[in-house]
Amino acid sequence: MLEHYITAFSTIFLLQNILAMLMGGLWGIIAGALPGISASMAVVLSIPFTFAMSPITSFTMLVSVYCGSITGGSITAVLFGIPGEPSAVCTVIEGYSLAKQGHAAHALWVFILASAIGGIFSVFVMMAATPLIANFAMRFGPPEYFALTLLGLSVVSGLSGGSVLKGLISCLFGIFLASIGTDGITGVERFTFGTTILLGGISFVTAMVGLLAVSEIFIEAEQPFQEYKGSARYRGLKEEMPRLSEYKENWLTLTKSSIIGTIVGALPGAGATIASFLAYGEAARSSKHPERFGNGAIDGLMATESANNASTGGSMTTLLALGIPGSNTTAMLLGAFMIHGLQPGPLLLNQRPDIIYGIFVAMLLTNIFLVALSVVGVRMFLQLNRLPYSVFSASIMILCAIGAFGLNNSIDDLYVMFGFGLIGYYMRKYGFPIAPAVLGLVLGKLAELSLRRSLLLSLGNPLILVTRPLSAIMLFFAAVSLIYPLIKQPKALKDVEM
Amino acid sequence: MEEVFMKRDEIIANVVIISFFIFMLMNALKLHEIRRFGEMGSGFWPILTLSTATLLSIILLVSTLIKYLKEKKKASVEATISKEVLFDLKNRRKKFVLSVLLLLIYIMIMPWIGFVLSTLIYVLAFILALEERRKYVLIISPILVTALIVTIFAKFIVIPFPRGVGIFAAFSRLIY
Repeated sequence: MLEHYITAFSTIFLLQNILAMLMGGLWGIIAGALPGISASMAVVLSIPFTFAMSPITSFTMLVSVYCGSITGGSITAVLFGIPGEPSAVCTVIEGYSLAKQGHAAHALWVFILASAIGGIFSVFVMMAATPLIANFAMRFGPPEYFALTLLGLSVVSGLSGGSVLKGLISCLFGIFLASIGTDGITGVERFTFGTTILLGGISFVTAMVGLLAVSEIFIEAEQPFQEYKGSARYRGLKEEMPRLSEYKENWLTLTKSSIIGTIVGALPGAGATIASFLAYGEAARSSKHPERFGNGAIDGLMATESANNASTGGSMTTLLALGIPGSNTTAMLLGAFMIHGLQPGPLLLNQRPDIIYGIFVAMLLTNIFLVALSVVGVRMFLQLNRLPYSVFSASIMILCAIGAFGLNNSIDDLYVMFGFGLIGYYMRKYGFPIAPAVLGLVLGKLAELSLRRSLLLSLGNPLILVTRPLSAIMLFFAAVSLIYPLIKQPKALKDVEM
Repeated sequence: MEEVFMKRDEIIANVVIISFFIFMLMNALKLHEIRRFGEMGSGFWPILTLSTATLLSIILLVSTLIKYLKEKKKASVEATISKEVLFDLKNRRKKFVLSVLLLLIYIMIMPWIGFVLSTLIYVLAFILALEERRKYVLIISPILVTALIVTIFAKFIVIPFPRGVGIFAAFSRLIY
């Protein structure tokens, strides 16, 4: 294992990879800070830049964008009271309160350092856990994979915002989309209606560009004319440096929140938003000064920030060890793996350790660099805020088109992107969450293939799914996570869209 | 009153969704016939997902209908949407339709006039559609955005964007 780390460090320290990390981190912070650009959209918009890069440089850049966007989501939360990411809702409560009291710089420092602590903690957990889980997953057969994908799908549908019913319909729509194209087992064409565009199935990167990014531009285009994206009213970070004693006092909160963030991040379907809510709730419960919560509690801000950044390492563990994306953003990363001809999962760790260990090291360094990058990022974000809003939207639309076209250099993909842009627009308009559809699209094919392979193994006997202990346990948890939200939906999550 | 209109739109959307799922389900049933004895076949999985989706969509439609009828009773007969709200709704719809049409036209003309010209025209048209009227933004930004995009993606990353046909192809070759 040590030799893999030595190789990874020497690879990541190549100039192109360091540059990719810095550019990716900076873009992630700025994109995350801009309302309307989610972490997954930031990753989508970065994909065209990776077409000409080697796999390791691409993933160095993309994981930096991912980590950076989660950190950046809190910049607007603190400065303007607008969460750049849904995961920054609790940051608004505490960080913006501090900013209103005239301590914006202090709040920014607290969240930047707490984010770094959470992120670095989760990377160490990821480094230790991924090989163990991957080795364990080597024992998985088709029934276990089917149960695992079902577990991922069920959690997402349950935690998909306001309406569980709409979440489930959205998820089933995604699963249906995954079945379009030539059937991998029988070779039969499904739902292609004689067209060649759909013969190879729907590329989920193209679909996601449409569903997430293009639909967002359509929604934004409807809004009344805005000159700029926002307005700057903040002087500088030098005003209030944080004291070390604050961190000493709250080490337990930071540790607990980092653990919560990592574990929740690793659960398929749960992500940074749920992690930050849970950690914030736990910090409020165990705080010595619960009365400060809601009025600029430092421990509350630390808890939510360390948890949402720790979720990145957790999500990446599930993706790298099992090949199951835990969130929209890791689903996008899965798409990026496929662009480079790689399939994340237990086999990849043995086949391409350079990539996996390279990602570990890249994420570790990104989280360290993010402290410095955040300082630069805040300044750049404030400058970018002065860009005319219309030009900003037009540039994003062009980047979407390039991302979709560049996959296969085909105009057909642009039509597919356009179609999904419209579908995404109406889904948002009528309250159907996008996240379950995306995960349905990503996991649908694997779920179907695993089920059919399982039934081929058992000569058509469906009991194979429940007679194998691992599969039975996962199916049990899938059933619980599907039914639980129907009985009791967390109030705090009702208004938060994933 | 606005909520009643929203619910009415939602009902229409639900009917469209159910029709879509039923149409696909009928196609999936045809697929189910093509299979070997004892196998699940290509149609089983889509039938499973589409029939569940149809069922859930019907439940959603019924619950939306019930809410619609309740809210319709509550809303007074005289209540109408104010002119301002109506104007705002129309304006929103106009901007949405424009942005959709512009993207479609951009995709359609790209193979004919090439990436550079289509992008230049698209950026200008899109920012106009978003009601941008500042002259310096209208003049500078399409050129700047196109130049940046072409430099990074056509020159540096070398993505083979469409060059167009005839005179447009000759023009594109001058640039990349």
